[in-house]
Amino acid sequence: MSARGAPGGGRDPSQPRSPGEGWTFLSYMIGGMALYGFLGWLAARWTGWPVLFPVGMLVGLGSAIALIIFRVTRS
Amino acid sequence: MSDVSVMTTASGCHLFSGCGYPAPSIADFYFKPIFTVGGIAITKPVVLAVLAGAIILIFFYVAFRKPKLVPRGTQNLGELGVLFVRDQIMRQQLGKKGDKYLPFIVAIFFFVWIMNVFSLIPLIQFPATSKIAFPAGLALVVWVTYITIGMRAKGPIGYFKQMAVPEGAPWWILPLLSPVELFSNILVRPFTLAIRLFANMLSGHLLLLVFGLASWYLLSLSIGLLFAATSFLLTIILTGLEVLITALQAFIFATLTSFYIADATETSH
Repeated sequence: MSARGAPGGGRDPSQPRSPGEGWTFLSYMIGGMALYGFLGWLAARWTGWPVLFPVGMLVGLGSAIALIIFRVTRS
Repeated sequence: MSDVSVMTTASGCHLFSGCGYPAPSIADFYFKPIFTVGGIAITKPVVLAVLAGAIILIFFYVAFRKPKLVPRGTQNLGELGVLFVRDQIMRQQLGKKGDKYLPFIVAIFFFVWIMNVFSLIPLIQFPATSKIAFPAGLALVVWVTYITIGMRAKGPIGYFKQMAVPEGAPWWILPLLSPVELFSNILVRPFTLAIRLFANMLSGHLLLLVFGLASWYLLSLSIGLLFAATSFLLTIILTGLEVLITALQAFIFATLTSFYIADATETSH
């Protein structure tokens, strides 16, 4: 986490975050839901418990939010 | 305007003349081939993409053919463009060390922008980027570029590790989070990059078609004249909005390209 906010150094907290970082968060949300949603859907078809599909999506959403929190608190 | 819209405007369909509003549809984004080269049909979007490339090539060749210390005329304009991309897009993400990627990002920005602007030029009036093939192709180029840069900077294993291990997360949660990080970095990024540009240009063009066709359809010597005038006014306002969006989408595309390259090259992790 160096070059993102301020060129060539640590992120300057007074500077706004880079727009790229916002899009990264969006891609976490999409990616988490799509990936775990898909796994949940597969598991639901395999086991015959349809509830696993929404559960998978929620797990994905939770992971995405966790990723964002870790990333924000680190920098 | 595509063949379908030309047909609907030429058919003289008006309010109270018995035929319904010829709503624009996805069919307006498909064109008859102009000619065929070795089994490949060349349509209007292809011609526009080639034209955009040619415009940029010729413009920058003319601008920087004989560069002078004190720029004049075309060189002035060219420098303005390059400096804008350098200071507002590239250096915001990459800093000074990113200067070697400047030609790539300048090319991406102007190519996308010119293809978008075709949406507003009279008689052309079609954004080539509203065909998914062009944003997808560009996103693929960006994707291959940032992955190659990342692998060259850190080696395949080091780069893969950076893509898979989210920063700041404790180790016990990694099995849950790593797949999301990897999926988001490798697959979601290029997809969102392409679809953001494509969807924005498609909906903008569709919106202009809706109100452009409506102003023609509603035109009649009745209360329809008022509706037509309103619709025409909206067409003008939305054209103004599109001017903004064409530039904004090119800006976002180039910004994200720089960001992905910065993310691939950044050292401390």
